[in-house]
Amino acid sequence: MIKAKHLFAYAVLLLASTFSHASEQSSTKPSILALAPHIVEMLYDVGAGEQIIGTTEHADYPEAAKKIPRIGNYVRLQIERVIELQPDIIIAWKSGNPSDDLQRLAQLGFTIIYSQPNTFNDIAKELRYFGKVTGNEQQGEQVAKAFEQQLAHIESTYKGKEKITTFYELWSRPLTTVAKNSWPQEFLTTCAAYNPFEQVATPYPQISVEQVLAMSVQLIIQPLSVNQTEREGFNWQDWPVIPAVKNKRILQPNADALHRMTTRSLTALKELCAEIDSIRITLPKTAKGTNTK
Amino acid sequence: MTKLKLTFIALIALTVFSLAASITFGPANISTSELMHCLFSQCNNAISHTVIWQVRIPRVLVALVAGMGLAVAGAILQNTTRNPLADPYLFGIVSGAGLGATVASISLANEMTIALPLAAFLGALLSVIIVMFIAKVLQSMEQMLLAGVAVSFMLAALTQFILYFGEPFATNRVIFWLMGSLARVEMNNFYVIAAILLASLIAIFALHRQIDALLLGDDSATSLGVNVDKLRLLMLALCAALTATIVAYCGGIGFVGLMIPHIVRQVVGVTTLKLIFGSALIGGSFLIWVDVVARSSLMHAEIPIGIITSALGSLFFLFIMYKSRISQ
Repeated sequence: MIKAKHLFAYAVLLLASTFSHASEQSSTKPSILALAPHIVEMLYDVGAGEQIIGTTEHADYPEAAKKIPRIGNYVRLQIERVIELQPDIIIAWKSGNPSDDLQRLAQLGFTIIYSQPNTFNDIAKELRYFGKVTGNEQQGEQVAKAFEQQLAHIESTYKGKEKITTFYELWSRPLTTVAKNSWPQEFLTTCAAYNPFEQVATPYPQISVEQVLAMSVQLIIQPLSVNQTEREGFNWQDWPVIPAVKNKRILQPNADALHRMTTRSLTALKELCAEIDSIRITLPKTAKGTNTK
Repeated sequence: MTKLKLTFIALIALTVFSLAASITFGPANISTSELMHCLFSQCNNAISHTVIWQVRIPRVLVALVAGMGLAVAGAILQNTTRNPLADPYLFGIVSGAGLGATVASISLANEMTIALPLAAFLGALLSVIIVMFIAKVLQSMEQMLLAGVAVSFMLAALTQFILYFGEPFATNRVIFWLMGSLARVEMNNFYVIAAILLASLIAIFALHRQIDALLLGDDSATSLGVNVDKLRLLMLALCAALTATIVAYCGGIGFVGLMIPHIVRQVVGVTTLKLIFGSALIGGSFLIWVDVVARSSLMHAEIPIGIITSALGSLFFLFIMYKSRISQ
């Protein structure tokens, strides 16, 4: 259980950030080009939402972000439009932006800073950083602190709990899971779930169901996306030999909340850990996830 | 003869018009009067100046020489192999470049400006060398295209294997790079492509009678005193250098080399000199306009240029096959 106090503080901060735009916004604050949905979301968190003058496709949260002019997607940026907009700062995401376009913008003399959150702690770091560079240092610090406190609370809640052998189904066709250096692995680690595929060399390994059978998996996590109506999960019902299937221990969290690296992911983390914990309680004490490798 | 002259005057006029008109298209709002100011005196503001001189003009010029180069490479390949469906891309040039780009994206992510084109060029060259070597071993010109297809698949498999173990986002980058784009070009790229194009055109101009002799068949060409193997190797090397350079800067732009020479044969004729200069003019104009569509048809994004050329090219390919079925 999260302390109500923390939650309340966090809610107040978010509300404050929404209402503080008008008062904080002044002509001295830099204009920003935010080149990824998670960057847009974080900028709104630190109170710099009003300073965003352009973004890329799929930036749909919060609601106000839908009105920001689009200047490209993860394949190609419209360099001409960027020159027209003349942003003071460009915040880019190396993984999701075309590197040749970013280099071009740097050559043209634009200031580019990078967002690259790989862990929950990185989110807090970037909230502070974005607050600083956009002239919203105070709010950035507050939001980051609240985030860190909540994260620490969740981490301490599940630290040392008995590990439960979990299979994370990223995609069903081909059956793909996650390993170290992937974002969902952060969730599994924090929630004390043991991922038997964690040590595989590639971050998103494709595997066969045969490998899952050999792991005696206690729990299956099958994130589903609300936006993808046609997305079908893997049909685990055909494999009742897997303990997780036999005992109906399949979780289906919201994929969109899990897979975007923002403050909202903390809520997703909290919910997932709680769900995993509720299953952990029902397991017999001997069914301990052990490394079969 | 006068008709041919008129045709060429019309083609040159078309090319000049394409160059001038295409500069007016783009996502940034720049009025025609502002454009005129920029070109002939001084831009009214720094933004227009940057857009016109650093983004649009390099792009249009590279579209011109890349279209010319791809069309010329296709035409010369078709004439020297006497295969109407020969295209530089069937030599595994793109999959070779893709392999080079993949290795660069994964291992040299921070030096992309130099590493990517260079690695793509080396990869393209590697594939051509392998294909030529195989064709030499098989002692057969006809098998050359099949060897090219086989090498393409082999290099593509290697690329996919590397990507599977690499960073997932690098995969996207390489896939989109292969779709081709002129968004990333600079004036330097124009100079390099233009220099290689000019050297190729001069070489073709000097040897055009010998290449025409090849059209009669290897035996006839040999009896006319042409060193068939040497000539063919030289022409293939020119095609490879031209295509590999263009692919390195612009990614995969398929089918221009296949399509344009066929159109030109209908318009001006089949002999080398007419075909080459006709292909250059029509190919250059064609790619300029395809790039206009690519950069200004969608409101907030660009369409990769290779998608447009391949879509048009594949339909054209089927059309040729259908026509040749009727004529047989």
